[in-house]
Amino acid sequence: MDPPPEPVSYICGDCGMENTLKPGDVIQCRECGYRILYKKRTRRIIQYEAR
Amino acid sequence: MEAGASYQRFPKVKVRELKDDYLKFELRDTDASVANALRRVMIAEVPTIAIDLVEIEVNSSVLNDEFIAHRLGLIPLTSERAMSMRFSRDCDACDGDGQCEFCSVEFHLRAKCMTDQTLDVTSKDLISSDHTVVPVDFSDALGGDDSSEQKGITIVKLRRGQELRLRAIARKGIGKDHAKWSPAATVTFMYEPEIHINEDLMETLSLEQRQSWVESSPTKVFEMDPNTEQVVVIDPEAYTYDDEVIKKAEAMGKPGLVEIYAKEDSFIFTVESTGAIKSSQLVVNAIEVLKQKLDAVRLSEDTVEADDQFGELGAHMRGG
Repeated sequence: MDPPPEPVSYICGDCGMENTLKPGDVIQCRECGYRILYKKRTRRIIQYEAR
Repeated sequence: MEAGASYQRFPKVKVRELKDDYLKFELRDTDASVANALRRVMIAEVPTIAIDLVEIEVNSSVLNDEFIAHRLGLIPLTSERAMSMRFSRDCDACDGDGQCEFCSVEFHLRAKCMTDQTLDVTSKDLISSDHTVVPVDFSDALGGDDSSEQKGITIVKLRRGQELRLRAIARKGIGKDHAKWSPAATVTFMYEPEIHINEDLMETLSLEQRQSWVESSPTKVFEMDPNTEQVVVIDPEAYTYDDEVIKKAEAMGKPGLVEIYAKEDSFIFTVESTGAIKSSQLVVNAIEVLKQKLDAVRLSEDTVEADDQFGELGAHMRGG
């Protein structure tokens, strides 16, 4: 039913490299090994109640 | 209840001042319960249309999504149609997703800043799918040529490269559910005061005493007539029920110099609208909502129809 979950991309806190992470992956930049990654905003539409 | 006693009254309304967003009127020959019911219905139960659902596609502004959604909800939209619209919860033609003309209106907003100058995204950037439901325009009401009102209500500011793209759905609602649906900025009423000066006691006062008594009122209610040197009431409605003049009279050793009563069947209303509907329409709609509530009581299962109070209550609301 649901389309396969899009891989979530993260930005390295050190080198700025874009990483894609799947569940169970080690949280680490593939390029420089830095362990702080920032999640990117989804491209999907998000719904909010205006309250 | 005494058999055959009639409680029927014939309330009267006299409009004093009427502007699109402001109304001052007198309500006479009724009691405080009716006046307060009218006030409360105007604030919390007259329906309007407001943005209720926001679907954000892109938001790279400094404000977070829920902050923007909340701001959009608070923008007043022209709601003349609200009384004849359906609440989306009891609309059976649709599921309230913005495609249905009976219960919702769709809005789109697309803004991107391409220059070095800050871009103000305002209520005027909201594109409505229905020309009768649009963000309230304050520009001509204030007559300011280049005032900030000209631009509409600021939603967010964008710097170069930032973008906001969204779809919003506006629905009918009432102030009781959320204040964003309230058509009233303020609704107040005061009891009309009745002021009696004891002329005989006033005669016993010297000119200076009279002057200082007149000046003891924090608002300009009384004045000394320069020719006759008599104290006259110039503006009874300026009286704020502060008792200052009564205390002053007592301090001067003249208790009973003035007697002030609140008339229990006369009210002065001030109504200010948010612009969603005209202030005059707000009062008319409030009375309509009150009548519908009375009908609900009359038609409910456990109402004893024979009780002649109901007939009178309805007659009271219709004014005869």
